[in-house]
Amino acid sequence: MSRRAESEASPVAAAPPVRRPLRRAVALTGLKLGQLLAAVFFGALTQAASVALAGTSAWLIVRASQMPPVLSLQVAVVGVRAFGITRGVSRYIERLTAHRVALSGMTNLRVRLYERMASGSGAGAAAFKRGDVLARVGADIDDVGDLVVRGIIPALVAAVLMVGSSVAVGAFLPTAGIAVFACLALVAIGGPLATFRAARLAETAATQARADVSASALGIIENASELRVGGQLDHALADLAGHEKRLVAATDAVAKPSALAACLTEVGTGLALIVNLILTAVAWQAGAISATELAVIVLMPLAAFESVAGLSTAAAQVYKSRAAAARIVALAEAGHAADAAVPAAAEPSGAAEPSGAAPTGTLRAAGLSAGWQAGRPVVLGVDLELAPGHGIGLVGRSGAGKTTLLATLAGLIPPLAGDVAVGGAPLAGLSPKARAAGVAFIAEDAHIFATTVLENLRVANGRLEAADAAAVLERVGLGRWLAGLPQGLDTLLTAGSDSISGGERRRLLLARALVSPAQHILLDEPAEHLDPEAGRRLTAELLAAARAAGRGLLVVSHQEEALAGADRVYRLVDGRLVDGGLTDGAGQ
Amino acid sequence: MKPLDPRLIRHARAARSYMVLTAMLGVVMSVAVVCQAILVARGVGGLASGVGFGPEEWTRLLGAVGLIVVIRVAVAWTQERFAHRAAAETIAELRGSVLKHVVALGPRFEAEGGAAKAAQLVTRGLDALDAYFTRYLPQLLMVVTVTPILLVVAGFVDWISAIIMFVTVPLIPVFMVLIGRLTEAYSARRLATMTNLGAQVMDLITGLPTLKALGREKGPAARVRKLSVAHQKATFATVRVAFLSGAALELIATLSVALVAVAVGLRLQAGRMDLIDGLAIIMIAPEIYLPLRNVGAHFHASANGVAASNRAFDLLAVPAPPAGRLPAPDLAAATIIFEQVCVDAPGRGYQAPADLSFTLPPGALTALTGPNGAGKSTAVAVLLGLTRPTSGRVMVQPGDGSAALDLSQIDPPSWWAQIAWAPQRPALAPGTVLQNLLEVYDSDPAATAAVERAARAAGFDSVVRSLPSGWQTRIGHGGLGLSVGQRQRLALARVFLQDKPLVILDEPTAHLDAATEEQVLASIRSLGRQGRTVLLVAHRQTLRAQAQSSVAVRSTAVDGAELVAAGGPTAGGAGSAATASGTGDADATGAGPTGAHTNGDAP
Repeated sequence: MSRRAESEASPVAAAPPVRRPLRRAVALTGLKLGQLLAAVFFGALTQAASVALAGTSAWLIVRASQMPPVLSLQVAVVGVRAFGITRGVSRYIERLTAHRVALSGMTNLRVRLYERMASGSGAGAAAFKRGDVLARVGADIDDVGDLVVRGIIPALVAAVLMVGSSVAVGAFLPTAGIAVFACLALVAIGGPLATFRAARLAETAATQARADVSASALGIIENASELRVGGQLDHALADLAGHEKRLVAATDAVAKPSALAACLTEVGTGLALIVNLILTAVAWQAGAISATELAVIVLMPLAAFESVAGLSTAAAQVYKSRAAAARIVALAEAGHAADAAVPAAAEPSGAAEPSGAAPTGTLRAAGLSAGWQAGRPVVLGVDLELAPGHGIGLVGRSGAGKTTLLATLAGLIPPLAGDVAVGGAPLAGLSPKARAAGVAFIAEDAHIFATTVLENLRVANGRLEAADAAAVLERVGLGRWLAGLPQGLDTLLTAGSDSISGGERRRLLLARALVSPAQHILLDEPAEHLDPEAGRRLTAELLAAARAAGRGLLVVSHQEEALAGADRVYRLVDGRLVDGGLTDGAGQ
Repeated sequence: MKPLDPRLIRHARAARSYMVLTAMLGVVMSVAVVCQAILVARGVGGLASGVGFGPEEWTRLLGAVGLIVVIRVAVAWTQERFAHRAAAETIAELRGSVLKHVVALGPRFEAEGGAAKAAQLVTRGLDALDAYFTRYLPQLLMVVTVTPILLVVAGFVDWISAIIMFVTVPLIPVFMVLIGRLTEAYSARRLATMTNLGAQVMDLITGLPTLKALGREKGPAARVRKLSVAHQKATFATVRVAFLSGAALELIATLSVALVAVAVGLRLQAGRMDLIDGLAIIMIAPEIYLPLRNVGAHFHASANGVAASNRAFDLLAVPAPPAGRLPAPDLAAATIIFEQVCVDAPGRGYQAPADLSFTLPPGALTALTGPNGAGKSTAVAVLLGLTRPTSGRVMVQPGDGSAALDLSQIDPPSWWAQIAWAPQRPALAPGTVLQNLLEVYDSDPAATAAVERAARAAGFDSVVRSLPSGWQTRIGHGGLGLSVGQRQRLALARVFLQDKPLVILDEPTAHLDAATEEQVLASIRSLGRQGRTVLLVAHRQTLRAQAQSSVAVRSTAVDGAELVAAGGPTAGGAGSAATASGTGDADATGAGPTGAHTNGDAP
């Protein structure tokens, strides 16, 4: 919670808009042009077969009515059947090739994102700062995949079809070809424009109404009992109904451009039909076209509108994917920029061969300024010493920069000024492993992995034995919880929050801190989500454990009373670290 | 998945009128398609067969085609224009039903995960119905209107073509179902693999900051690549099979149209058919298959919405306990007796409270004590009639000497009307502080003296003075803008403002400093002096000391062994457990946004 408040308060929270997000996201997928063109080819083949089926049928019918020898119709008969089969088969191939392109692109995207975020310190910072973005990166990647399948490929197919069918009609009667192209263009441009307008309206008008409805509905669920007992339920439901009414009104406004996009296809098809009837009638009278050509010119274009009709859906997908692409590009390119700025020297595998040995000794920060963006420090001029076996408390209002300072002290984001060292070894020069052996950071919203309870503790200490894990869980008050789990330590935890409660999650993270072999541990808000009494007790226990094990512990809290057992308590005020007692309730 | 769930029509009024409209539009569309086909066939056929038209006749024909085009445009516009509204209204109706039902099911259902399920449904889940209503449902209704009407018309124009189509149209659903059945087991297996692999990749990506903080980010990179490639292969294998039924649909539809065209052509050649009829048939034929093809195309897009509505209907089918009907006796004189009340803690294998027996005489000040998780808040829920005891009962002995009543027989609203209750997490609505206080105050809102008195009694007066706009300060959802302690004092002030014979206060001094606590304790004592029955849930010694009697609440394991209460995960009792699971993120500090914002539309 405080993390969120912090990022909202920090001036960099609003990430700079990413330019050309779609193009850059697609570039990140490493899309293979050959595969993409294959999908477009089969898509165009599908639609072309459909148009050709309509044209050949028209020719066959009119020619047959002139009662020529049956043999002269054979080619058309075979053609009609062949186009019918081609359409069905190539549609299947088109969908498969399109998905193959998108799926391999999505794989590349996932792997590249992970690698960039894992290596680049800048990306690490971005990931830290924007945990909310990371939480939805899965859906974002899907959206970029959908962009290929439902946006790019249908748009290219429609473009090919527009030109192709206009030329085909134009070959019989140039004026009709031009008319067909104009009608197709009307649908192909007008539909997406109206769809964009609808999407923009939905974003501006409906989002607020939707948020109000959600908040009000959740309020009813959370306070169900009190609302009933206090006789306020009807009032709350009426309140919700008011928000729903505004949401329906907003939806209604969005429906207007949507409806325009939907009926444009009929407008285009109808116009093409009428104009072609007139043009062919005139040409027929002038003897410029034959009877069969007349039928083909009027009937064939009707099938061409199916592909441009899909462009509205494609436009909606593009709109939806744009925001997703921007978030992904921001995540990935933050790492890219950092990698470019800091050459191999900072890389753990670089020539310097940083020491893999775990540093021991005092954690010392001198003149440290911390922040998520250069030139915008959130915390300024921090001098801090954490000796092994000591416990330090850090308090401050939400948004004061506590988490930012911790992430910097842990070497996860580079300091804006000053430096951090453990036992005299600067963190910047250490390999990730050695750095984490010196300072481990247990963030407030640290991830619980979708694996067993034991593995979730082993993340902090690979050599942890099952018996020790059980003992630690007992110590943090999870003994009863563990006993209730179907497979004890080997129970799989699912990723969502439904398998463990907020309090259980917090205690599990404290257990991680307890098992960590690091020289120093930085702990963010250990008492959050626990009742004050339990929070106090657990924090005291952690401080005692660190002292006994000769480790340094820095505990951040906005509840001062939880820090009674610390050797020293600092306060973060206006970006500066000051000595703070336990007196004047700045945490309130 | 059923193509159309009758429960949807039963539950949602908006859905019914929308379906009637859509079906009517389907009929209009059929007529338009037929007229257009015949008009164009007459125009093209007339010219091609050399009959020719006079300018007047030609103008009439073009005018008629123009009119048909206008009608088709209007139908398409109307359909889309009202589809979104119908979806929004239906979702609103379902949301309201789900909420009312969840509220009626009470705190136990909520604590057992019902609150989390309902929260997911009412925030995002049901919104997926939009695609179902705007895309899938109209096409489904076209299948039952346009397709049969056009088939009948085709029968009048050319019965041989009509028979070809009459045979092939049913083949489409038959083949789709057959393929679906045959590939079901394979698809389910593949889908499970795919979902599992996908979740593992995303777990590592979202957990990256944590891995980094522990120095373990390098190792999993290879694993991410391996899992991603495996996921890609599994997904491709899944879609290869999943697209088969769609392919069958497209193939049957287009091949049938081709067969009709060839059959018509050969009969024309033999002179057994009229050109105009032939042209009309080949224009009508694709339109017969079009709704079926569209249903197939939108089937998967609508699946999420159908799944969400199924979850909603399952939730609505959970029976609510029958409410009592007898009017509540006057609580100012009645005695409430807990007789060996036990409540199973949801899913945790023990009871909290266990074997709780005590008597609440009128005018008494009683404290419920016990460690976290013992079941104090659940005992309050039982007293409020929100939770039924697993065993044991609560009896109400009226003061007039008539027979004692079981609480479950009493009409809840008449019971609640006599109770003032301040829970640990009070309900606060967006609005001014004063509005939140007056919300439960049903007499003249201008009674400012009473308001000031209640605020003073609750120690809320100092809070009001500290707020930027005093009583007119606006607070957000869930009391955003007030601290937890301030919210609680507001709730206390509400209680003091009401003149109810039974007052229940859950940890009323939990977040107060010593001076304010003394102020509140004095007010609680004065409630006792006014002859009100007061039940306190009390942790602190200072609060317990106010009570004339204390009742120890304890939890036990179901096998009878008593648990050492370690302040375990059930801290806060059923009510707050429900809140915690409902929002996924209990906001204990008031510093951050409420669950509502967390779960609402993310930026």
